[in-house]
Amino acid sequence: MSNLGFALEGAWKVLLAGLILGAGLPVLFALGIRSLAHGAGGEGAQPRPAGKVMAGTLFAIVVLGVLLGLTYIVASGFGKTISFDHVWPAIVDK
Amino acid sequence: MTETTVILVLVVVTALGFDFTNGFHDTANAMATSIATGALRPKVAVALSGILNLIGAFLSVEVALTVSNAVVRIQNSDGTPKDSLTSDGGTALLLIVLAGLVGSIVWNLFTWLLGLPSSSSHALFGGLIGATIAGLGWAGVNWNGDGSKLDGVVGKVILPALLSPVIAGVVAAVGTWLIYKITVGVAARFTDNGFRWGQIGSASLVSLAHGTNDAQKTMGVITLALIASGEWTDTKSIPFWVKASCALAIAAGTYLGGWRIIRTLGKGLVEIAPPQGMAAESSSAAVILASSHLGFALSTTHVATGSILGSGVGKPGAQVRWRVAGRMVAAWLITLPSAAVVGALMWFLGDAIGGLGGALVIFLVLLAAAGYMYWHSRKTPVDHNNVNDEWDETAERREPAGTAA
Repeated sequence: MSNLGFALEGAWKVLLAGLILGAGLPVLFALGIRSLAHGAGGEGAQPRPAGKVMAGTLFAIVVLGVLLGLTYIVASGFGKTISFDHVWPAIVDK
Repeated sequence: MTETTVILVLVVVTALGFDFTNGFHDTANAMATSIATGALRPKVAVALSGILNLIGAFLSVEVALTVSNAVVRIQNSDGTPKDSLTSDGGTALLLIVLAGLVGSIVWNLFTWLLGLPSSSSHALFGGLIGATIAGLGWAGVNWNGDGSKLDGVVGKVILPALLSPVIAGVVAAVGTWLIYKITVGVAARFTDNGFRWGQIGSASLVSLAHGTNDAQKTMGVITLALIASGEWTDTKSIPFWVKASCALAIAAGTYLGGWRIIRTLGKGLVEIAPPQGMAAESSSAAVILASSHLGFALSTTHVATGSILGSGVGKPGAQVRWRVAGRMVAAWLITLPSAAVVGALMWFLGDAIGGLGGALVIFLVLLAAAGYMYWHSRKTPVDHNNVNDEWDETAERREPAGTAA
């Protein structure tokens, strides 16, 4: 296979991962902020606890995503990488 | 002290100098958006980025000794220098590396003077390619790899440079567009504060990833020079002082802050609001980490610029200054050849004079060029005080025209 083939093969994977993590997590974050605003209630409206719970859950998922990124950076520094072979991320040798 | 030792010292000092320019050239990639939106005060932003770069550089335990193999043939596959280049005590290889580094630094400083975010890795590769062509001929360059994997100048440098800004731009545009859709009608006190935190978090990830990736390249170059001159033999580890000095150089550079470039990226391209800033930095972080995971080498600068452009495209009604973007793309296209030309000229100069004298002369040329560009930059200083001033298209365009004259 030529360089162009390898590059395009890599590119669509990066695009896919980028969309899931790079656009997906900010979207969850935005939903979290919407829930938070909803939970706080508006002018004269009662606070809605469900909104706060929802916001907390969404923020927690975003934090997990960031931790995954951090783990990857640290692991690759030690010559390890993260395997997604079993869907659940695991640290393995490169 | 032999002649070779003195040349080796020059190479180490020049490599650390490159690492330093690498730091301040790339502060903008992580922190331009946070500074532009006021999420972080300028001095706090560069300090945070500097610390994260320092930590990141120490985290890279793996040895990046073969970094030059992607583009030039001056090393064997195990990282040791080619025998033909070390037969004279290593000066042949040291001169190529020194000339290449001088080319990279000169180009990095020149684009900094113009406030253009060009890629430091392209400058490094360009300088090395130019010096190698001058020293070893066209065959010394690894143009296309051997076809077994993404390799060579085409596979490791040119193709990723074409693809990565587009990928990052698409991701950031999609993220920005969705964020604005989702938060329509939400009170500003929730959105502004929330997105500021998201922005700081994602920008920090970019800084950390930058420290692990970029400091390693200089560590690899210095260790190669040490092996070539017989001061070090182990290809599986690098001396601690090399790691520590590279980490400090890149962190100090980052802390100094390339304010001219931060200004262009943060204010020149798009007027950035916190939601866009967060979308842009998340896109950068995800694309940088995903591509390094997949072995798809790319430049942090190209990704960050693509992301910021994308965040301008994705926000309904936002203005993107395509003229500024066009100047940036032009700078990207000529970075590698320009650094290569300087690297090649430096090699010819050093080789014509020969030995220690040649190395000293090109080192002095570097100091003179750096001093001149620093002096020139003081005429229109950009620092943490005026980095966020309103972007005036006509004034910004006049300044670089005057610089070129």
